[in-house]
Amino acid sequence: MIPFSIQFKGGAPLSEQIIAGIKKAIAIGQLKAGEKFPSVRQLSLELKINPNTAHKVVQALVQEGILVVTPAIGSVIANIEPSSAKKRQELLQEPVENLVIEAKRLQLPLEVIEEILRKTWNQMEKKE
Amino acid sequence: MNLIETHQLARRFGKTEAVHDVSFQVPEGEIYALLGPNGAGKTTTIQMLMNIQQPTSGIAKVLGIDSTNLTEREFQKIGYVSENLRLPEWMTLQELIDYFRPMYSTWDTSFEEALIGRFELPLDLKFKHLSRGMQMKAQLLTSLAYRPQLIVLDEPFSGLDPLTRDELIQGILELNSQEGWSVLITSHDLDEVERLSDHVGILNKGKLEVSEEIESLQNRVRNITITHTENIAEVSPPAHWIHYQRQGGVSRFFDLNYQSEASDNLYRNYFQNPAHIQAETLNLREIFVELSKTFRQPYSKKGVLK
Repeated sequence: MIPFSIQFKGGAPLSEQIIAGIKKAIAIGQLKAGEKFPSVRQLSLELKINPNTAHKVVQALVQEGILVVTPAIGSVIANIEPSSAKKRQELLQEPVENLVIEAKRLQLPLEVIEEILRKTWNQMEKKE
Repeated sequence: MNLIETHQLARRFGKTEAVHDVSFQVPEGEIYALLGPNGAGKTTTIQMLMNIQQPTSGIAKVLGIDSTNLTEREFQKIGYVSENLRLPEWMTLQELIDYFRPMYSTWDTSFEEALIGRFELPLDLKFKHLSRGMQMKAQLLTSLAYRPQLIVLDEPFSGLDPLTRDELIQGILELNSQEGWSVLITSHDLDEVERLSDHVGILNKGKLEVSEEIESLQNRVRNITITHTENIAEVSPPAHWIHYQRQGGVSRFFDLNYQSEASDNLYRNYFQNPAHIQAETLNLREIFVELSKTFRQPYSKKGVLK
């Protein structure tokens, strides 16, 4: 069994959906730093996806520094170092911009967005 | 290396051309899905590849060999499963396995046993007492157990329940630790195909209208919504914008050739600096439906082609 679940929805390319799902699993603590990550083969079999897609997912996560490959164990969830806080903040720039664009399009004021953010944040904390 | 390669492959029946100049490649290590409504030419194409039918013109190479010259030696490395094949009713699975095993030098008994377990297949019941799903699983088992290099599946999922489909998919993926392994699959179940394949070909009336990677197709075909001022003049959309519709200050269409920035610039030009541009990705089923409309083919909404 793989220690997280992915909800497939229509639209975005499969590999992007899976990467987003894994990041979410890390954010809510289903996957923790230092834990072993499933192999490409395991991912492919469990999620019933093309092995090349599974390979692409693992490669992308390694490139983003979310997974670390160790020869003996395979891939492991990385420890995110505190020093890279600024870098991590930069990673948020794009999704935040998209959020602001959508909010403006829907004509929602900043206070409402703050409220939604807080609510979603707390929900995820609870699951941890 | 391409495990399958066709060049202008064609097959005529009298005056009708079932397959018209079809060219595509299935590279090593990839899963290629051939899609299309019934009568599009999928099965005829596969049967030419398997040397069951002869091409009228053009050429198909399978494992590097002209399909019309395929022999026993190549079929040792090919697993072929088709909804059109029937298992001998009077035989049991055990008897069928015992019959096939000595014919294949690469038969892997432990893999055979693993598949029997995964598929939960009874060994001692005659095939006439087994359901369609069970029979498809038995066919797949006897086509995978010798670890073929190339697996050809003609409509393996049609008429099967979701659980059996899942089991079939997992059976196919079990082989994936093997090097240089490729799959060609025809199906009209698009959701299953989207997860399993990396390449997709769309056949329509014998012509291959699309042949590319699923992700590249998803990057290229986008559902565009543009919010602009109401008083801009009527726009005459380029040919790669399909189903263009405008209502006041909103224009919607499908762009078949979306390229992030270049397209955004084009839209800005056409719609005079619009307030908002939205370019949504689509899943394979949605892309297929929109493209099919341009071929003027009937389709149903559930992702299952008629």
